[in-house]
Amino acid sequence: MTRRTTSSDSQRGERRGARASQVGLESRTRAWLRHHRAMWLDSARRLAKRPLSSLLTMLAIAIALVLPSGLWLALDSARLLDAELDESATVTVYLDTRLDESAAMDVAARLRDQAPVAEARLVTAAEGLAEFQQGMGLEDALASLKDNPLPAAVVVTPADTDPDAVRVLASNLEAMNGVDEARVDLAWLERLRRLAELGQRLTLALAGLFGLGVLLVVGNTIRLAVESRRQEIEVVTLIGATHAFVRRPFLYSGAWYGLGGGVLAIVLLTLGGHWLSAPVTALAESYGAHFTLPRLGVGGSALLCFCSTLLGWLGAWLAVGRHLADIKPR
Amino acid sequence: MIVFEHVGKRYGGRSEALADINFRVGRGEMLFLTGHSGAGKSSLLRLIMRLEKPSRGRVLVAGHDLDRFHLSQIPYYRRQIGVVFQDHQLLFDRSVFANVALPLEIQGVEPRESARRVRAALDKVGLLYRETALPIELSSGERQRIGIARAVVNKPSLLLADEPTGNLDPQLSADIMRLFEDFNRIGTTVMVASHDLALITRLRHRVLRLREGRLVGDEEAA
Repeated sequence: MTRRTTSSDSQRGERRGARASQVGLESRTRAWLRHHRAMWLDSARRLAKRPLSSLLTMLAIAIALVLPSGLWLALDSARLLDAELDESATVTVYLDTRLDESAAMDVAARLRDQAPVAEARLVTAAEGLAEFQQGMGLEDALASLKDNPLPAAVVVTPADTDPDAVRVLASNLEAMNGVDEARVDLAWLERLRRLAELGQRLTLALAGLFGLGVLLVVGNTIRLAVESRRQEIEVVTLIGATHAFVRRPFLYSGAWYGLGGGVLAIVLLTLGGHWLSAPVTALAESYGAHFTLPRLGVGGSALLCFCSTLLGWLGAWLAVGRHLADIKPR
Repeated sequence: MIVFEHVGKRYGGRSEALADINFRVGRGEMLFLTGHSGAGKSSLLRLIMRLEKPSRGRVLVAGHDLDRFHLSQIPYYRRQIGVVFQDHQLLFDRSVFANVALPLEIQGVEPRESARRVRAALDKVGLLYRETALPIELSSGERQRIGIARAVVNKPSLLLADEPTGNLDPQLSADIMRLFEDFNRIGTTVMVASHDLALITRLRHRVLRLREGRLVGDEEAA
């Protein structure tokens, strides 16, 4: 009995191993799901047990999330504005001042027939003067003029709003008979686009930076949790827990922190939006623009929550991974 | 069941904790491992549990060369071994029942089956009526028995115990040893590290004697 060779032992062991793996997949999957559910609930319970510290962690995450997502929202609305501007990118074609009204109409009709022109609206000299007077408040000064100094103009909306295409169109129109000048002012539009691009990059950089901040906040919190459950980790490791098993509750904690932070960030963004909306709308109206602060919406909220949950999970994963290596049963 | 072949263990630059250890333990055997503290008992057990690798030689358990295990296989290997610690290593934030159920939870045993086996194990150590208690409410003897219940709940083929009676009076120690003998009688290989010589000699099992990291005696059961 005492001095038996081990070959039969090993065979038996292997046979048992094979059988275990056959029994396996379905019941193992069930066990796996069961443990996930248990840890999901357990980690939530642990967070709920210490509401204040949990809330503070979530708040720290939320604050880190608010700035980039707020910027992103602002940028998104700038893009909407940009689209509106694209539509308003028109070419103003000033006609020869010697043309009378019917000749001007002819030219307008000819312009309308050009392929890259979507729309051409004739503004007669008289209409132009009236518009000018109204817009500038120069009634008195203009009324003293004997003749109308303004030429008739055609406001052309190009079919293609790409800046280069618009420029080509303008130079073509300028070459036409009866046209004095075709003016297109694209510089400010391009400047605005560059500004938007700068804003986009800034937002991305900030999002990266603050995302890292979230990782650190969650990582640090989880590190403390790992430390406080050190004995438990040692014991379960001694009795055959896999790393995945040990890691699981902490991953769920991290995900909960992330989700809580995401929800709080949405609350903060909504509150901030309400607080700012009145002055922003007033400011936009003073420029004659119609602009309201954008809302996050259901899709945006879901995306924010998803990202923050993922960040929380990842932060926990990094923290636990680092500390599992440190913890070795005595 | 257990084979040590020229096993040596050295920690850092210090002198050898274990040197040239050779022995075999058959399946279903019960034996003691004895020696003064620092003689290498715990190091030897840690090698069997694959908490550490030997610096020299090799250790085989149930036909597996422990050196060949991939890191990811080790947890599954440990599930086949029941371990009883001197300080019982119970988790104080959960009930006796949950403590004993821990190995089954780790293995993903279905809850109803798990409950059945936990109660059977608790019954075996005579503490079924304490299942809802918290470890803090138990005496040290009771805690040790809960630790044993946890070690045997998944019916391991090998049961290791590191000074399981270290903190107990002689009467309780004898009770604990009787429990180990019961498990051995149903086929479990049992290896108990202890320096309680009086108890060991009374029990008449095989004894491995360690001194300063060397195996100085291997006395067959009387």
